[in-house]
This record gives sequence, structure tokens and C-alpha cells, in this order.
Amino acid sequence: MSGRFRLLSAFVIVTSLLFSHVASAIEPSDAAGFKFFEDRVRPLLTEFCFSCHGATKQKGGLRLDSRAHAIKGGEIGPAIVPGDSSTGLMLKAVAYDGELKMPPKGKLTARQIADLTAWVKMGSPWPTDSASLVADPMNMPATKAGDHWSFLSFRESTPPRVNDEKWVRNPIDRFVLSKLTEKNLKTAPQADKRTLIRRATFDLLGLPPTPEEVEAFLRDDSSEAFAKLIDRLLASPQYGERWGRHWLDVARYADSNGMDENLSHANAWRYRDWVIRAFNSDMPFDRFVKLQLAGDLLIPDSPEGFVPTGFMMIGPKMLAEDDPVKMQMDIIDEQLDTLGQAFLGLTLGCARCHDHKFDPITAHDYYALAGILKSTKTMDNFNVVAKWQERPLADPAVAAKARTHDELIAATKKEIVSREGEGKKKLLAEARERIADYLATAEEVRKGRRASVSLMTGGKPPDGTLTVEAEDFQRGNVLKDREHYGKGIGVLVNAGPLPNFAEYDLTIPADGIYVLEIRYAAADPRPVRVLLDGKYLEDSAGRTTGGWFADKQSWDLGPVVTLKKGKAILRLERAGPFPHIDKLALVPLPPGQSAPVRPADLAVARKLVPVFLNQWVAHLDRLGKAPEGDALKKLAEAKDGPFAIPTPIDPLLAPEAASELKVLREKFARLEKERPVLPMAMAVSEGKPENLKIHLRGNHLTLGAEASRGFPTVLALPSQQSVDLKKSGRKELAEWITRPDHPLTARVAVNRLWTWHFGDGLVRTPDNFGRLGDSPVHRELLDWLASRFVKEGWSVKAMHRLIMLSATYQMSAAHDPATELKDPENRLHWRWPRQRLDAESFRDALLSVGGNLDKTPGGSLLTISNRAYVTSTANRNYDGYNSDRRSVYLPVVRSAGYEPFQAFDFPDPSVTKGRRAVTNVPAQSLLLMNSKLVAEQTRRLADRLIARPGDDASRINFAYELLFSRPASTIESSRAIEFVTQYEKAAMSEKLEAAEAKRRAWQGLCRALLSSNEFMYVE
Amino acid sequence: MNLRHLAAGCSRREMLRQSANGFGLLALAGLLADEARGQSAKTVPDPLAPKPPQFPAKAKRVIFLFMHGGPSQVDTFDYKPLLERDNGKPLPFAKPRVVSGETGNLLKSPWKFKQHGKSGAWASELFPEVASHADDLCFIKSMHASNSRHGGALLELHTGSDTFVRPSMGSWVTYGLGTENRNLPGFITVCPTLTHGGENNFSSAFLPAIYQGTPVGNAGMSSDRAKIPFIVGDTPAKLQRMELDFVGRIDRERLARTGPDNALEGRIDSFELAFRMQTAAPQAQDLSAETAETQKLYGLDDPVTANFGRQCLMARRFAEAGVRFVQVTHSYKWDQHGDLKKDHAKNAREVDKPIAGLLADLKRRGLLKDTLVWWGGEFGRTPTAQGGDGRDHNPHGFTMWLAGGGMKAGISHGATDDYGYYAVENKVHMHDLHATMLHLLGLDHEKLTFRHAGRDFRLTDVHGRVVKEIIV
Repeated sequence: MSGRFRLLSAFVIVTSLLFSHVASAIEPSDAAGFKFFEDRVRPLLTEFCFSCHGATKQKGGLRLDSRAHAIKGGEIGPAIVPGDSSTGLMLKAVAYDGELKMPPKGKLTARQIADLTAWVKMGSPWPTDSASLVADPMNMPATKAGDHWSFLSFRESTPPRVNDEKWVRNPIDRFVLSKLTEKNLKTAPQADKRTLIRRATFDLLGLPPTPEEVEAFLRDDSSEAFAKLIDRLLASPQYGERWGRHWLDVARYADSNGMDENLSHANAWRYRDWVIRAFNSDMPFDRFVKLQLAGDLLIPDSPEGFVPTGFMMIGPKMLAEDDPVKMQMDIIDEQLDTLGQAFLGLTLGCARCHDHKFDPITAHDYYALAGILKSTKTMDNFNVVAKWQERPLADPAVAAKARTHDELIAATKKEIVSREGEGKKKLLAEARERIADYLATAEEVRKGRRASVSLMTGGKPPDGTLTVEAEDFQRGNVLKDREHYGKGIGVLVNAGPLPNFAEYDLTIPADGIYVLEIRYAAADPRPVRVLLDGKYLEDSAGRTTGGWFADKQSWDLGPVVTLKKGKAILRLERAGPFPHIDKLALVPLPPGQSAPVRPADLAVARKLVPVFLNQWVAHLDRLGKAPEGDALKKLAEAKDGPFAIPTPIDPLLAPEAASELKVLREKFARLEKERPVLPMAMAVSEGKPENLKIHLRGNHLTLGAEASRGFPTVLALPSQQSVDLKKSGRKELAEWITRPDHPLTARVAVNRLWTWHFGDGLVRTPDNFGRLGDSPVHRELLDWLASRFVKEGWSVKAMHRLIMLSATYQMSAAHDPATELKDPENRLHWRWPRQRLDAESFRDALLSVGGNLDKTPGGSLLTISNRAYVTSTANRNYDGYNSDRRSVYLPVVRSAGYEPFQAFDFPDPSVTKGRRAVTNVPAQSLLLMNSKLVAEQTRRLADRLIARPGDDASRINFAYELLFSRPASTIESSRAIEFVTQYEKAAMSEKLEAAEAKRRAWQGLCRALLSSNEFMYVE
Repeated sequence: MNLRHLAAGCSRREMLRQSANGFGLLALAGLLADEARGQSAKTVPDPLAPKPPQFPAKAKRVIFLFMHGGPSQVDTFDYKPLLERDNGKPLPFAKPRVVSGETGNLLKSPWKFKQHGKSGAWASELFPEVASHADDLCFIKSMHASNSRHGGALLELHTGSDTFVRPSMGSWVTYGLGTENRNLPGFITVCPTLTHGGENNFSSAFLPAIYQGTPVGNAGMSSDRAKIPFIVGDTPAKLQRMELDFVGRIDRERLARTGPDNALEGRIDSFELAFRMQTAAPQAQDLSAETAETQKLYGLDDPVTANFGRQCLMARRFAEAGVRFVQVTHSYKWDQHGDLKKDHAKNAREVDKPIAGLLADLKRRGLLKDTLVWWGGEFGRTPTAQGGDGRDHNPHGFTMWLAGGGMKAGISHGATDDYGYYAVENKVHMHDLHATMLHLLGLDHEKLTFRHAGRDFRLTDVHGRVVKEIIV
């Protein structure tokens, strides 16, 4: 035991060291003690004590499910006395050496007893004492449970007075300066105008300012110049693309499911575009939140309402989970965890298996919320592979157009059917006239063929028959499928590149005449060209066999050839896809026997329809002999009789009728292709209202008490609307979250905005405002901002103006050694925090300076159709990233992300990310040095520079203006010229053409400048 | 060069906050102590610097040979005489509640088994070469896991979770131990599968991106074309050197004006490291540096074994060069719902010699003792038949083997029932194997944690038991 105690105390020391350096989120001893309690003690209590001394039963008047209860004890005295291991009854009972022996079923192990003793000695730490009490909402003292700062309502405070009034531009600065003065820290000087415009433009648009914009801003020397600039940027459509993207990090937006079955979310982009529009139109943030949770209920039957609920839909799901109940609970958990973090900064997911260990959220609270999502329809089914729900967008104009188009399709289809009918009628009439001829010819075929078909279809093939498995070709580009056409059956399928071909190296056993036969299945006619040793023989395997699968395979007679003993190369080819070929056979004709009679030849000679003739042969084979009288008539008229008309009928028609039908069919196909795709959106709807039972340890197989739908008790607000149990409760959820007096929503929101402006938030864990989250250094500022945000109608753009017009925002990044020592992390905002370009800004800036950025807004660039596999078992990776559009429009493919983005810390799009990591990994350098993206863009930029009139110095100056928003100094300029000259020489010595060497040299310069810190960082 | 700066952006604060309560505490405590002694407050821990294990390690690195699709235990290493005897009869006990597909009656293995080596380990004729190393192997015949679909099972095998996106085991290992060669990534996966979880099988999820696996090629390409992303461009080295010198110069000058900044300095160093990686990575992959005898040992001279042989030889070269975790994937080939006879034979033939070659080569170079070699698929297969010649997925009982790195050699641990359907004796869950692997590397799976979204996460979630019985 002492060993563990040593470990434990080491732990306490280390933890306290740790937390004394980080702003103290929790008392250090608490953290270690809580962990010990959670790891060692709570499991014991749960397993051995709670069933008799818990919320439901209190034997001997004792409850052990909270610290307070344990101290209070039962009828015979306190169960524990924190810090004293010699008095409490619990330790006496577990020692098993007196009257009182607990647990009754048997003594605990020595280790378990030691753990309990150690815990009591530590002072019985029990995190959020109320947590267990909250499990029983009736017992919950609401004020006590929520004593964590972020659960309390905003502290109203007036911006403090400061010494240096001149520095203050708006109230934000009062909070900031007052703290800095308090700590005796100096502010950095105001940034110069070039820095400011580059900063503001990257910040609001994610793009560099153009040299003209910089020039215009410099010329405007009014005091309103920066405010005007901000207004211009906020009015730009690129603003929503930048700030919408921030939100998409929170919403874990992606265009594919990821996880086990990476299916395409081809309609997710509608939610993305809605987010962008919402930012551009400055949609009030409370409305923005409400629509994402319950838009379908707030604006019923309208895409304006349900498209935003894409938020709930786009999470990663295990779509091939064999247990449907588990699948649904996992999906609900993902939704709940995401919405908790996104809107409330709460890690609700922690309460799925047990009461939250650190925040006052109980398992009961969790299932009360989960019930709301259980009563919401997200999925069409939970099959393997499951199907998420999509809803049609009823845009009246599109719908009307679609209707007209559909009518046209229907009319064309009708015309086709009627032509087919006419053709059929005519064909049958003619054919029935000639029943006798068909009968006679069919008999002739049956008699004449002897050696071939029958030998491959029944019995053993004749000696010397050469059989080859179709998939054993030596050369070919067709795919082999051994899985889907029956066990042990391999076939060639049509998935290969076109034209399809397969070549077989054959060894002919002996000289002779052979019949080539092919065994295959085909639902449509797909004749293949047969070549022997390079010589075309004829088309074969052109019949339809009635289906694509193995049960429809049959042998078909092909060409008759004379072969010599030895090698021969057989080639099958087709401009289109192959029929599903199983086997090939070369059947020798016995010496002296003539070539078999081929129905096709006979039919042509006698002007019979070959297909009918074949069918007559087949039917006679089946019947053994020709029927007579009524039986014959009945057979001739039977739907599946010898006159059954194959689909399509076209090859049987007279040329004129066939070509008319062909025109109609082409029209039909064109119309089908042009059919306006009825736009769909991933969206939720109301489901069957029901409460969930608490899942013990998160397991759906062990259920506890029912949790009526509602909201976490600790966050109960005055005169709160309760859930209408006849509906899902989503509407009430949305209203509860966006209440002006909700302590979390506005705080979390303004902190996100602050994070995205400054690179870090006032609370530095933007997705976690719970006890394990960061505590704000500037709580007053946060509260002031939050309450102002609410008062001003939740306007995000107003917040941008407020923040950016502060002196705090406009400071330079200037270094100050003394201040840096005191506040190395710049938590108090004594200077501008220099920020590296994020992945999208980096790429967009590359495209922008290369002159090829395409600013078209909206729409989808995903190249994979909806619900199809984005990355497949055929190991094809997603590569549809080729576009000049802004980065926000590039598909976000889970598990097959765009490499340049991954290198530059694009977050895993499966989880909420309020603040991206900023790492420095060699992959970034390699990308700048070697990637095609950078090579292409620097080449474009180099060409732009070379094409400019003027001298090299002016070219270099232009490059500096473009990339750094400033002119080059004389030294910089001459050095760059020298670099280009030297580089050109070196390139010539690498045997490059003069013109190419020059381009390379300028490209080299551009790549170097783009790689530099000055480009990659926003000052 | 000061490599400390490489991680400048992965800020100290993040490191501190997120490793809190878990692994890294002691190392961080040391760091804080340094600070207390008045060293620079700006010291940034290099997240990839080699870190001492939490306790003495038996293995320094891992090579995982992943047989994607699910090789059949009853046709490879788990010999079941009763299955042979009762061929065609119904399984005499219930099949699992949840299955991925229907199966029929018992199907005996088409391959003969015999015992090998002094240990007398059973192996079928599918793996004659691997079997010749039987005395170096530790078979776990009682593996079991939770998911009967490829996607879920791959994610569980690689990340410990078949429910949510979690960091992959290679990321955890690199997070825990850093890397021994800064000119190469610490976690490399050769020709990984793009499906069934794809990149999530080697991603770092919420761990810092620096710990994610670096793919060398993918399963869609032949291994001789597999390269690290962006390792080669079209700029000749001499010219590239000029560019980097120029960037370095303007960056340093600017740094002199802006004042010290770890992130900015780190970027300057990062270009140098990248430049060196450009040489080091292709060198590590250059198999022509190996003797003809070695190449032959891995089967590079035979078109059937060459592809996987190259992957195995690359793995040895990476391991030797100090890469901490190397995965080699034999992609999605082992899923024989039908054509078991033909395709299992073909698959085994492709990997048998290369794996045996790897074992022999590691051994003769003295690397096997501290390299953990691990062979297996995401699950096994049913002893009952699908069609006449196939088997369904089976996560309830299957075989994996390990070698070197502190594993007992020449033993077999655990057992399935008489027919090889369920693990019944000394069961080892995937979580347990993860815990054991970390233990061999000197990491306590309960203490290797990372704080994310309000929780301290582990590779083994709340599960896992170190299987002490199979460790030396």
C-alpha cells in the first residue's frame, strides 16, 4: 500500500506543479483526489454499496451516493469521517472484524480495503459533491450544483476606469488595459496601416489584400479609415466563406461519412452553403443556433427550416454496425456530444456511461436530452449499411420544371411502348404464320448439331475439349469477380476500363476442326468480337441469357475454326462492357463430321427470326418432341414460349421501325439524363416521441430508470418551458439553449469569435467551459461581451466591429523582453498574437497571388454520387481536389483528406474543433518544397512577374506588394535580383533551356518568398 | 541544430494541459523543475524527442504485419481435429447473437496440419516458412474482439474503438516514446488500406498531428512505387538548396527585427529537417542497398512474393533506422467467403516467405530481441461454411502471433473451443493485446493518456489487461 501511496503523492505533487502553472482550473489536490476517487473508490461503492445504500434504498437510513450523505451517515452514525480512518463506520464494516460486516456477501480484497482507507485519509475527495445528488433531481439544490463560474449568470460590470484614457478606443480596451496596468505590463504600440490591412483582410476574408486595396487604404487618412475598411470587408461575400468555415470546424462538417463505410454525403454542401449565407447576412446568432437544432419545426415544410438541421446529420456514423440498437444510440451520442460542445461548451458525452466526473451533468440529464434526439428522425434505417435521412427541397420553380420534364419523359416512354407494341404485334403475326417453318427448322438444328451444344450443356465434353476459365486470361483489362456470382464461380465483369479485352494463350492439343463455345450470363446483348491469332472471326456471345447472375449462365455456340496443334492466341474484345463470361471451350468435331448446324445461319437463309428459332430449339429440347394441335398453339402463344420476344425488341424489327425506335430511345435517355435532380438535403424530422431509460455503463442491454425528456437540472432557468412530451422536445431544446439568460450559450459564442480573431480565446478551451476547461483571465470582459452580444440582438458583425476597432486588436506584434517574461503566453493581451495562415488561407492566398482564384460561390465539387463509396475496397483514393475555387468549397472527405490541408493542421472533420492546433511539422516544409500545388502556383506567379513591363526591381517590388503588402527595400530588391541571376545560371548548368531556366529562377524566388515567415504569418 | 524548436507550434501550454493527469507527467514535471531553476520560460518540449519509457521496456519498436480481410485461424495455426472429424455436421452449439452473414455446417480445413520445431507448434501447410520459425513465435489462439464487420473491426484493431474516431495505436506509441530518428517519421505505414476506416486507422485523431502515421504509398499501388508524400519534387537538389538558403536568410533577418519567436525559429529548422528527410527517406526505402542474398530471403526474386517481400524488407530498414512503429499491410485479400482453397493458398504464398525472411533477418541482425513483430488480421473466420468453400467473419475467436520484443518464444497461449469458433480459455481481447504491446514498450496503458473534450483518453479506453503470461 505504501508503494501506491508514494505514487499517489508523487501524482499530487506533479499535478499541483502542473496546475500552478496553468491558470488554476481546479484545486490541485482535488484533481488528484478526484481521480483517485473515480478510479478506485466510486467503482467499489457502485458495485458493493449503492444497491442498499443509494438513491432507491437506504438500509439503516444510510446513503453512500454522495459525500454529504456518507458523512451524515445512517441510524448508527457517520459512515466516514474525512481525514480520519479510525472513526467512520464504513472502514470498520469492511474490516470484517466486528459485528458490522459489509458488504454482506463477502469481504473486500485487501487492496480494495486499502483504497478505501487511503481515500478517507486523503479527506474523502468526491468531485462535485452534488453530482450524485443531482442523479436524483428531486434532491438537487440547484444553486449549489452550478457554482462553477460558467454555470452562473453573467456578472454585470461596467468597463473599468483606466489611467491612460488616450489608449482606449472602446470598452474592450478598458478591461484589457486595467488588467495590464494591474500587472504592470506595457502595451505594444499601434500596428502600422500596412500591417492592419493585411491583418484585417486575412482575418475577415482569409485572403491577402491586393496592392490596390493597400494603396487605397494608405491614401485614406481619415480617422474612420479602418472602420470603413472593416465595413467593406464585412460586406464582401468572401467574409461568409471565411467565417462560415470557422463554424464548420465546430460543426465537424464533412462531405463523406468516414468511419467504417465511407459513403459520400453529396448533399451536405447545402448545409455548408447555408452557414456561409447565414454569416454573410449577419443572421442573429440565436436564430442561427435555433435553426440548426429545430429549423424544421420553426419554419415547417421549408428548406429554409430543415437545411440548417444538417448540423445534426453530418456526424460520422458506424453504418455497418450489426446491432441496430447500438448503432442508434451511438448516433444519438455523437449528436449530443457535438451540440453540447458546439453551443454550450459542455462535454455531455461524458455522462453517457456514468454521471459526469467533473461537471454537474448526470446520466439522468444525459438520457433526458438523448430522449429528445431519440424522438427525432435522423435515419431512414439502421440496416447494414444504414441509410441517413434526406428531405427534398421543394423549390417551386425547380419542382415545376421537374414536373414538366417528367411529363415529357412519360410521353416519350409511352411512345416507345406503343411502337414496341406495334412491332411486337407485327412480328408475332408474321412469325405465327410460319410456325411450321420454325418447327421444321428447329428439328433440323436439333438433328444436325449433335457434336457441340449438347456436349457442353450436358454430360461430358468430348475428349480433346479444351476448357478455359474466363478469368484466367493472360492479358486483359477486365475485372475478375470471384465473390458475387456464386460460390466458387469466377467471372469476368464489366468494371474494367473500356474497351474491354481479354487474351488467352492456348495450347491446341491436336490438329482438327473446333467449335468455340462461350459460357456466360447477360441480361442485355453484349456481343464480343472473337479474334484468333489476330484474325477477326465473328461476333459471339451476343444473346441475352435472362440475367447477369450465375443461374442464368449458359453455353453459346461460336465460330467453327480449323486449328493446328500448338499455340494459338484467342482474343475477346468489345468497345463496351463485356457480358459476364464464365468459361470458354474449344470442342473438337469428331473426324469426318461436318461443322455443326448453326441456327443463326439457317435462320438467315430461311428468313426466320434467329431468336425465335433458338427458342424453338430450346423448347423442343425441353419437351423432347414437337407438340401438336392445341398444345402447339398454346405453346406458340405462351408468354415464355418460343415466340417470347426478347428485350429490347429492336434487333428483330425492320430497319426503318428499328431506327425510329432508336431515335425515340435516344431521346428518352437524353431526357432521363437531363432530368433535373430534385435537390435533397440531409435533414432531420420529428420521430416517434419517447423517453429513454438510463443505460447503465452506457450499455443498451442494461437499462435503468426512465429519464423524462428535459434539460440538465443544474442549468434550469427561471420559468423554463418544459418539453411537450407529445413531440420530440427539440423546439424547447433550441429555445432553452438560446435564452438570453442562458449562462453558457452567449459566453461560448463570443469566446469563439474572440478565438477566431486572436488565435486564442478568453477561455482557451472554446469547446469546454466545464470544470476541466480553462478559466478566463478576463471573465469580466467575457461577461461584458456576452451580455452586449445578447443586448445587440446577437449580431456577429457588430461583434467583429467592436473587437476589431479596439486598441487591443490594433496593437502590433512587437516583442518586449520584460513583458514577455511576465506573460509569455500573452494571456493579458499586451501585444498582437502573431498567427500562422491556416490551411485554407494558405491555399487561397496561393491561388490569389497566382491570379487564378475562382471566386464563384456555393455548390458542390464532390465528384462522387450520393451514398457511393468515396474510398473503396478497390483501393481507389479520393482525388477530386482539382479546382481553383476557394478552399471552403473543396470537398471535405473524412479519412481521405486533401494532403496540403492535412499538413497545415486542418482538423479531423469527425470531431468539433473550436480552435485548431498550429503545429510545425516537416511535412509542411516538404509541401512547400515539392508539392505540385506550390509548384504550379509559383510558376503562375513567376509568369505574372516575367510578363510585367519594367525592370526586375519593379517586378520584385510587385511580388513584395502582392505577398507581403509592402514594397521591397533596396537591399531586398538587389539581393532578390542577385538570387534570380545566380539561380538562372545554376539552372542552365542543370541543362535547362534558357527560357526555362529564367522561369525556374523566378519560380524559385516566388517559392522562397511564399515559404518565408513573412508570408506564412499574419502580423 | 536545435531540434527542440521543431514543435514550436505544438505549444507548451497545450502539451501541459492535455497530458495532464496522465503519461508525460513525470517528463513534464522535469520540465517544470527546469523552469523553476530559472531556465528559459520559453522552452518548448520537442514532442518527437525520444522519451524514456515509464518503466524498463522489452521492446523498442513494433512491426505489425496486418492481414486485412481476416485470415482463418482453423486453416492456419489453430488445429482442430474435431472439425476434421465432424466435417459437414451442424455446429453442436449456438452461433453468436450477432453475425455478419449466414453460415451452414462445419467445414474442415482443406489443409493438413503438422507440428513444428521443438515447441511442437501446429501449423497448416499454408505457412511452411513461417512454421520453420515456430520456436520464435508466441501464438495467441484465444484472441477475440467486438465487431463482425471489416470497418468496425479494423478501427477496433487500430484505434481501440469501433464506435468513435480515436487515435491509432502507432500514434499512441509515438506520443509515448517519441522517435529515435528525427530524419524519418516516427510512425510509418507501408501501403495502407484506404477503406474500412482508411486513414483513421493510422491517424492521430485528437492527438497532435505530429503523431499521425505517415503513409508510404497505399494498398492501391505496387510497393515499389510507394513513397512518402511530397518527398520528391521537380526541383533539382542544387537549386532547391539555393532556395532554402534564401528563405533561411530572409527569415533570420526578419527574426532579428521581430525579436525571438519559437514558432518562427522552428520553421527555419523545419526546412532543414525536411531537406534531410528527402535524402533519408529514399535511402531507407532503397532496397538495392541490400545484398542479393537478403533480397532473396524476402522473396524479392519471385513475382509472387516480391510485392509483400519489399514491404517487409522496407519495414526492417525503417525499424533499423529508428522508426518506432511500422505497419505493413497485405491489403484486403483474406476475406474468403468463397474460394477459400484457392485464395487462402494464394494469399499465404504471397506472405509466407517474406515474413519468414523478415524474422530470420531481424534475428541474425540482433534486432528481434527488441523488436516486437506482430501478425494477424482484424478477425478470424468461422469454422462453419459459407457455400461449399468459404467462411464468414469471426471476431469471437481467432489467432494472432507475436515474436521478439520480450514475448515468450515457442509458446501457445489460450484456446478456442473444439471447433475453433469461440475463444474459451485464457481469452485475450484486442484491448488486452494493446495493453500488452504498450507494456512491452515500457508504457502503462492506464497512464498513457491524453486529455480531450473533458476526458483523459487511452488506447484501451476503460479496458485492457496486460497478458503477463506471455511476456518473458
